[in-house]
Amino acid sequence: MKWITRERPKIDRIACPWLIKNFVDSEAEFIYVPAERVKEQAEKLKAIPFDVTDVEFSHHDDKCTFDYIIEKYGIEDPAVLSMAPIVRGADTDRHDLASQASGLWAISAGLAYNNKDDHELLEKGMMIYDALYSWAKHLQKEKHTQNPVDHLFIDVFNKFIKQKAAQKKTPDWVKELKQIIQDQVDTNLSLTDISKSLNIHPSYLSREFSKHFNSLSFGEYIRKLRIEKAIELIKAGSYSLTEIAYLTGFSDQSHFTRIFKQHTGKNPSTYKKELSKSNAGTKG
Amino acid sequence: MKWITRERPKIDRIACPWLIKTFVDRDAEFIYVPKEQVFEKSKELNAIPYDLPGAEYSHYGEECTFDYIVKKHSIDDSAIHEIAAIVRGADTNQFDLTKQSAGLWAISAGLSYNYRDDHEMLEIGMKLYDALYSWAKFVSDEKHVWSPDLKI
Repeated sequence: MKWITRERPKIDRIACPWLIKNFVDSEAEFIYVPAERVKEQAEKLKAIPFDVTDVEFSHHDDKCTFDYIIEKYGIEDPAVLSMAPIVRGADTDRHDLASQASGLWAISAGLAYNNKDDHELLEKGMMIYDALYSWAKHLQKEKHTQNPVDHLFIDVFNKFIKQKAAQKKTPDWVKELKQIIQDQVDTNLSLTDISKSLNIHPSYLSREFSKHFNSLSFGEYIRKLRIEKAIELIKAGSYSLTEIAYLTGFSDQSHFTRIFKQHTGKNPSTYKKELSKSNAGTKG
Repeated sequence: MKWITRERPKIDRIACPWLIKTFVDRDAEFIYVPKEQVFEKSKELNAIPYDLPGAEYSHYGEECTFDYIVKKHSIDDSAIHEIAAIVRGADTNQFDLTKQSAGLWAISAGLSYNYRDDHEMLEIGMKLYDALYSWAKFVSDEKHVWSPDLKI
């Protein structure tokens, strides 16, 4: 089937073709013409007019044409349903409808500015909606964490939650989690991130954590291990303090210095100097 | 000049190449390798390592590598400063930093999911940042109101 609408598309006139191609008619063709010629050309070309006034496929009250197509064709894919308020928000200048609406608008407005050919724009727009769909379908809960090990943490916490329900004695997850933290002390993951991924209240998790980790909180425990590792590396003698900060998972040198001082009462550089002096003494 | 970073780029490792190509070195080449090989390969290939801890071109405090390049190369363009905040928000999980960060993250995460080839991802990402730049530079005051009748 052919579909026709106004030229110079930005949001709805790109999002609707994407929706139609993927969920209604994979053979659909799209035509863009000046606004005043849509109806006349629709009749001539036997094309369905959309996203113009006084046609069936259009805005209805607060809803945009994307919403109408979802309703009309009974599309129930939850990912598409979660894209709808983003598209509606970007298309009707109600960016408060979804936190992604402003970004979609900015990128779409910029793409339209850069691509004056409507079909070229449609092609690029299709990639944007493919991306939004993949995000909505697979990644909505994911944050931008840069480490595959994060998934290990999450798996372990999942086990913990299951075991907690089943039994009361010290669960296996404690041993496993200890091992993973030990191995991955240089990675960057907060308890809040984990609890969010699990939809569990962070205070609940942190309370459970300290029961099994010498009454230390997750953060305290991680910092303690990191400083212990830093001390080992200083003793090894072959690393600079910058390298040690990196190897022990601190985001920057000053943070490392501050935490190190909290734990040992000394700056890392002082600690290093004193260590090399005492070494020299014993060898002397 | 060659630039090298970790594979599977999403935000900063796409935005920085765009910034470098557009404002620092139009002939720049970009290389993606597994995380643990970046420093070794950077020496071998005489490439500048970026966006990983231990490199000069990296995060500092709250700021991401994009911010560092803007500062280091004194890029004085108000559209770039606006994009820097959007990128920083999307790259460091501070989605409330700008209104556009959450959308940039969603679209970038989805692109990375759909395009497993880092250079294909970079090519599409370049267009994305071209678009953000045009928006910031030329159309950020424009609102999209659904009023087709006005044009008739």
